[in-house]
Amino acid sequence: MSEESILRVEGLVTQFSTDRGLVKAVDGISFDLHRGETLGIVGESGSGKSVTNLSILRLVQSPPGNIAAGKVLFQGQDLLQASEEEVRLLRGKNISMIFQDPLTSLNPVLKVSMQIAEAIQLHHGLGRKPAKAKAVEMMKLIGIPDAERRADDYPHQFSGGMRQRIMIAMALSCNPDILIADEPTTALDVTIQAQILELIKSLSAKDKTAVILITHDLGVVAGMCDTVCVMYAGRIVERAPVDELFYDPKHPYTRGLLDSIPSVDLSGPDRLYSIPGAPPNLIDLPDACPFAPRCSRVMEVCTKATPPETVLDTATSRSVRCWLHTKENQNA
Amino acid sequence: MKSNRLTRNPIAMTGLAIIGLYLLVILVSTFWLPFDPVEMDIDHLLEGPSLATGHLFGTDEFGRDILSRIMKGTSISLIISIAATALGAVIGTTMGTWAGYLGGRWDHWLMRVADVMFSFPSLLLAIFVMAILGEKTYNVIIAIGIVYIPQFARISRGAILTIKSSEFIKAARSNGASSTFILRKHLLPNILVPLIVQVSLSLSVAILLESSLSFLGLGVQPPAPSWGNMLSSARKVMVLAPWTAIYPGLAIVFLVLGFNLLGDGLRDILDPRLRNVR
Repeated sequence: MSEESILRVEGLVTQFSTDRGLVKAVDGISFDLHRGETLGIVGESGSGKSVTNLSILRLVQSPPGNIAAGKVLFQGQDLLQASEEEVRLLRGKNISMIFQDPLTSLNPVLKVSMQIAEAIQLHHGLGRKPAKAKAVEMMKLIGIPDAERRADDYPHQFSGGMRQRIMIAMALSCNPDILIADEPTTALDVTIQAQILELIKSLSAKDKTAVILITHDLGVVAGMCDTVCVMYAGRIVERAPVDELFYDPKHPYTRGLLDSIPSVDLSGPDRLYSIPGAPPNLIDLPDACPFAPRCSRVMEVCTKATPPETVLDTATSRSVRCWLHTKENQNA
Repeated sequence: MKSNRLTRNPIAMTGLAIIGLYLLVILVSTFWLPFDPVEMDIDHLLEGPSLATGHLFGTDEFGRDILSRIMKGTSISLIISIAATALGAVIGTTMGTWAGYLGGRWDHWLMRVADVMFSFPSLLLAIFVMAILGEKTYNVIIAIGIVYIPQFARISRGAILTIKSSEFIKAARSNGASSTFILRKHLLPNILVPLIVQVSLSLSVAILLESSLSFLGLGVQPPAPSWGNMLSSARKVMVLAPWTAIYPGLAIVFLVLGFNLLGDGLRDILDPRLRNVR
């Protein structure tokens, strides 16, 4: 991973102002993404995964959302300082997104070829005909049979899996440098999930596209990602190469997540393990580890101060945010 | 598919047939009229309908042929109705879609202005505008257009609000689409159905408004014929010569009926919630 990073997020803070107070949905996130790398972001619902990625493209609805601090450096340019127009030109061309629900992410009244061709038309100024030809080409690439004929079909004439393929075609039509996939397989059944993931994997490998994969499915992470960030309450609590994360989780929360995976092995306990409690309310978080109330290895210091980020291995940029692993405690 | 549903819908087809008949009348009247619609004829005042004189619908108090005046009035009424609806639809929809899409302060103020305009009955508002603009034929277009702006603004805004938070709008933005592009390519096609129905119904109300304004002497000015001012002048002689009022009245009734039937039919065809109800 010595290659220079293509996307660097530094201390990103995104807040939402609500009637009951300020919600820090993303609270100081930093990560690097390298060319061709697949970065997984996992966490429970509401841990800030999606907001992080919407913030990268500045798609957070404002108001109530507000990117309060941080930097998003894409090829050295800070997207948070750039003008709206500059960011707009990057969207779809350099950084594109796939959304969770393919059923609602396509415009029901437009032909699919027009929707795939949209980014091409917007960014390359191609005319209708050549853009459509490119759209058909993309449809073939993502494995839609009889692409020429189906190009004129409307979204409701496709199945869920096919629609997600069309979303992928839309996102990849301009050969972006970064593909952000926000839970791309959540709405699909398992066999289709595997096909879609395989498709993302092969297409991104072909063009060395960096992928940010947001998911709450650790199985998907294991199969797809190079590096994983585990998010909790708007912060990255653990970052590790994928193998290390699974074999040697450092943060109690990561361990809890791994223990919650149902095992096919029948010899396991009868009841599925689950982390007790619920994610904290993100309004006015106290200065403490947000996981402390649910943590099985909670110590006194955990409720007194927010744990700092401890880098365990600079080469793989493995780090964890937990009092158990701070320098002092390691030495003790 | 769509054309099939249209031809199979008797209501819409009846409406279309009636409107087609009026269009035919306009076409004929540009080449040929039975009599000069503005020429007075002192020898044939208030004559009843008769084949012998050639005045099929009779003559009015100046001896002018009523059929010719109705035919001439058809094109005036229809042109005003179509132009006014187009004016109101274009401005109103533009305002409504932007207000709905941008939200916030823009939305707030545009809709309050629309509310104020809505609080006047449409005829009263049209009379008010005519009083300001002065009594000219093309001012009727502007007056009726202004009446329609808040109606179209409200309908398009409501439709936009229900779909602007859709995932596909977010997807389009993440693709690098600008606001104008999203409005034009993604939002507008999605709200076309209620707009088409509204246009069709507005056309019929525009006919009525134009006739009412002309009836009150604010619209099309005599001697130019319009159904409204024909009715107005017939008022004085209606008891003696009922044909002076009946035929222009029927002309209005049938055209309004035609547009309403078309509008109802289109709504049945296009609104998926009403589909398969019968």
